[in-house]
Amino acid sequence: MSLRSFIHRLSAPISSGLRPKEPVKMVCIVNTSLKMGKGKIAAQVGHAAVSATLKAGEKTPELLDAWLSSGQKKVCLKAVDSEHLLELEKAAINQGILSVKIHDAGHTQIPKGSLTVLALGPEIEESVNSLTGELKLL
Amino acid sequence: MRSKYQLLKVMSLNHSEPTMVFIARKDLKLSAGKLAVQCSHAAVSCVLAARKTEQRLLERWNKNGGRKICLQVESLSTLQIIAGQAQAANLITHLVKDAGHTEVPPGTITVLGIGPGPRRSIDALVQDLKPY
Repeated sequence: MSLRSFIHRLSAPISSGLRPKEPVKMVCIVNTSLKMGKGKIAAQVGHAAVSATLKAGEKTPELLDAWLSSGQKKVCLKAVDSEHLLELEKAAINQGILSVKIHDAGHTQIPKGSLTVLALGPEIEESVNSLTGELKLL
Repeated sequence: MRSKYQLLKVMSLNHSEPTMVFIARKDLKLSAGKLAVQCSHAAVSCVLAARKTEQRLLERWNKNGGRKICLQVESLSTLQIIAGQAQAANLITHLVKDAGHTEVPPGTITVLGIGPGPRRSIDALVQDLKPY
């Protein structure tokens, strides 16, 4: 779906019956093996958050709406390396949680195409926690 | 002689390749994760604001990989001055106020997001700032 139809979807009225009542959050998991600077991490997580928002607009507009109206709760966690991120992605897909992988264009700091961040959600907190519960905060 | 603001206004009409910048307060000494989360708040809010006013710019920015850069300032007042200049130049801005659940007191302004906007006008605003 194009960005324009995403925008259309966002501005369309949402049936309130579908809106989940549980708290909703987004989780960004950062690949710490790349040793990126703080600013670099911030920009990469920004990429992830924007892509995840756009993807949620296509796939799970009710969750997106609940997330936006509850203050966009985001959490940033650490993963060991890119294999760790891929494992988490597989687990997320199995559970039907939206996931977005960010690969860097490689203009600064790290080689081109490195997997930097995995974003999960927006999704109901409990189901994300079952996946990412034992990861540490960044 | 044009003032800096008028010049920026003219430049923001010129559609060069779009970019987005986050300007973070170094004096708060946020952890990497906190900084990342605050910047992504700014990113999402700016995108939502852009979808109302600058749809075509937003689409072009997103197609070209969504360039984002994180810069630093030393104080809140500098941040507010830059926010004022960006608004005067008709750029999309968003000041992130933290809810204060963790590292900083509630209502603290942590990050300013500018863009997506034409790269030249944003560069003109933030060229003196250091990357975070």
